[in-house]
Amino acid sequence: MTAPRGRRLLAPADVARCREELNSRHSPSGRRVRVCIGTGCAAKGSRRVYELFAEAAKETGAEVSAVTCVGCHGFCERGPIVVVQPGDIFYQRVEEPDVAEIFRETVLGGRVVERLLYEDPVTAAKARTAGEIPFYRVQQRVVLAQNGVIDPRSIEEYIAAGGYSALVKVLTGMTPEETLREVERSGLRGRGGGGFPTGRKWRSCRDAHGEPKYVICNGDEGDPGAFMDRSIMEGNPHAVLEGMIIGAYAIGSSQGYIYVRNEYPLAVEHLKEAIRQGREWELLGESILGTEFSFDVRINRGGGAFVCGESTALMASLEGRPGEPRAKYVHTVECGLWDRPTNLNNVETWANVPAIINRGSEWFASTGTERSKGTKVFSLVGQVVNTGLVEVPMGITLRRIIEEIGGGVKGGKAFKAVQTGGPSGGCIPAQYLDTPVDFDELTKLGSMMGSGGMIVMDEDTCMVGMARYFLNFLRDESCGKCTPCREGLAQMVFILDRITHGEGQPGDVERLADLGVLLEGAALCALGKSAANPVMSTVRYFRDEYDAHILERRCPAKKCRGLFRYRIVAEACKACGICLKNCPAEAITGQKKVVHVIDQGKCTLCGACLDKCPFDAVVKV
Amino acid sequence: MPMVTIDDVRVEVDEGATILDAAGKAGIWIPTLCHHPCLPSAATCRLCMVELDRGNWKQLVTACNYPVRRDIVVSVSSDKAVRTRRGVMELLLARAPESRPLRDLARRMGVEGTPYPTVSQTLRDCILCGLCTRVCEWVLRRAAIGFAGRGPSRAVSAPFRQPAEACIACGACAAICPVGTIQVRVHQDTGEVEISPFKARAKFQTCSECGARMVSVPVTQEVMRKVKNEWEKLRRLVGLCPRCRRKETAARGRTPAEQPQQTR
Repeated sequence: MTAPRGRRLLAPADVARCREELNSRHSPSGRRVRVCIGTGCAAKGSRRVYELFAEAAKETGAEVSAVTCVGCHGFCERGPIVVVQPGDIFYQRVEEPDVAEIFRETVLGGRVVERLLYEDPVTAAKARTAGEIPFYRVQQRVVLAQNGVIDPRSIEEYIAAGGYSALVKVLTGMTPEETLREVERSGLRGRGGGGFPTGRKWRSCRDAHGEPKYVICNGDEGDPGAFMDRSIMEGNPHAVLEGMIIGAYAIGSSQGYIYVRNEYPLAVEHLKEAIRQGREWELLGESILGTEFSFDVRINRGGGAFVCGESTALMASLEGRPGEPRAKYVHTVECGLWDRPTNLNNVETWANVPAIINRGSEWFASTGTERSKGTKVFSLVGQVVNTGLVEVPMGITLRRIIEEIGGGVKGGKAFKAVQTGGPSGGCIPAQYLDTPVDFDELTKLGSMMGSGGMIVMDEDTCMVGMARYFLNFLRDESCGKCTPCREGLAQMVFILDRITHGEGQPGDVERLADLGVLLEGAALCALGKSAANPVMSTVRYFRDEYDAHILERRCPAKKCRGLFRYRIVAEACKACGICLKNCPAEAITGQKKVVHVIDQGKCTLCGACLDKCPFDAVVKV
Repeated sequence: MPMVTIDDVRVEVDEGATILDAAGKAGIWIPTLCHHPCLPSAATCRLCMVELDRGNWKQLVTACNYPVRRDIVVSVSSDKAVRTRRGVMELLLARAPESRPLRDLARRMGVEGTPYPTVSQTLRDCILCGLCTRVCEWVLRRAAIGFAGRGPSRAVSAPFRQPAEACIACGACAAICPVGTIQVRVHQDTGEVEISPFKARAKFQTCSECGARMVSVPVTQEVMRKVKNEWEKLRRLVGLCPRCRRKETAARGRTPAEQPQQTR
């Protein structure tokens, strides 16, 4: 990595020359240690691991060519992740004390440290490389291909790995019209949730009257448990930039904005660095690569409002006004930011663009289903063995994602449902697990693709409680501008609260459904229109749970306090007295060698006995 | 000119006119709450929902800001449109059940009450239509009040809930408020006018002739700011109460025709 900082690429041909030069510098057998510094791994201490590796490398000197930081591998469950070349040996859950051993054995000695390899929970087979792990085997990585390989802070590594070749291709051999047609033919659809055909959006924006035109990258990812965009921005920021530059070229824009939420400091840092490097290398700014095309990008940090992920609210926020949506009867491609034609795409959409240009629209369209092409990144979280970020071809079944990649439900419990599309998505029950994942199929099931959140729930999840949780989140995040969203969600949460407290009334489900229909029809923005989805889909698939709560005052999953009781199983009770001592309500009676009993009249349902019992003799009934 | 077919009545409107304009022309009433012809539409109350026929599918849109750009077919009385408007009204009634103007409007729509309990806190029946904030921002150009908070805790407020420096106590917000949340209070003892609940106070301007109370001092100053220095006669008239102004004009025996009227 000795290329002079700030080298200028003055002509398109310079990019390829620079790449050759960079690649000739490291030998293919060069040893490298890649330490993930994505947020997941960093939270588990990977930065310290990186520092230790760097120190160790410094001590031994010439032996190791590089210890680098890389972006998220996706398998955050197993972080911190360290990959050692040659052999791409995949170490997981690496902690500080392990560094010395890895360095001594693998880096210097070329031997594998078996205990840090991934072990298959079923077959107990050890996986040496990522490719051998089931979590990665089923995945098809396009957007995340360079995540975990290149240093996100280095433009050189991006170029060496083939970066900016799509931009060169476009600037040297394609007119804006051809570029646009290529994207149209690829069938790429917006990855942010709506699934609108990207090419069509670009064309509308290009054809719209008014100058200047703007392009915006929406990095305001706010769904609980979702981190697709975050990982892309953190792990491969140049791909997003390259996509935006190509898009701007096709649309005829000279100014772009990246709207990132401020809660993503690493993404902001890496994007900032990428933009700085891009400007320095003449890939951004006036006359890019010596051509007549000029384009620049600014970063705007969002203040953490969920609703700012909505395009019009985002633009309002960019303009410095409160982040509230407005009617889209005149589309933003005609009248968006500062009333100018504006093309907004999600981070993942932009990151797909370079791959489409490089490998062609036919290649892209060969993956996926008839109306949903390419791959999609999901963040697989919840009660699943392997949580993390997965990129799969469209059309793969939910079952394969959850069972093969995710390794099934945690703790051997039964699968109950999966919530797709974030908080305003819907849940999909077990009988639809073989549904192919694409935009239209998920919508048919009453859920949606959304930006790619996937929350797996096991048999112990109360679906009413789950709906209440998401509705509560959406009520708090509603901007409050329009009546149905502001008042309707408050009413729905009120009813759901009542149901989960065992005070539900007959007719509550119908009231919820009425409000849901009202919200879908009357709310101002997509957030409000889809806000009732968690309730509507749980009513659709788990009506019996609602009825149990309302009519029988019983929570089938035994999650809602007050709707189940604690009981001591006489056969299992060893009369040890622990529960008795810990009961704050003194509701448990018993003596030595006398089985303990809970006085239901006194019990406050705090659950202390269940937590303390060493023999699992306390059960919920 | 595009043709709007609205409940089988056909009217031609200018391009860019709204469905509400077309309905007015067709003599069809659509309830509105947050709409005012002098203000940019915000479409926040959602009371003017109508059903737009797009051929193979139908869409609920707000009449107040849907721009007519080509021939369209709209239904105000369709089942879905009526049900949606009723639903919105019921939610508003749940928010401000005591508001008489709201109940009157509801009755006119055929809504006789709400099935929902009151779950959100309101300040004096405020329904957050935003007319006050818009008149302050777009007509007075003061933006002394705005929305604070998010979701259920949204409220109209002056910055930091303190008396706003930008407020000129003109009372436009109180005049435009459809439910009487905002009130102009007169403090006889101190000779001040207060815009409640925003706590903004200003002294009354008194007539330079007879001493009668007129508008607030900052309003007069605002008008003065827009009157050229050399128009002395007009500047003098601004300081007079309507009665004294008439007297003055009559005394001069002619209308000040060569002088421009007060701006705006």
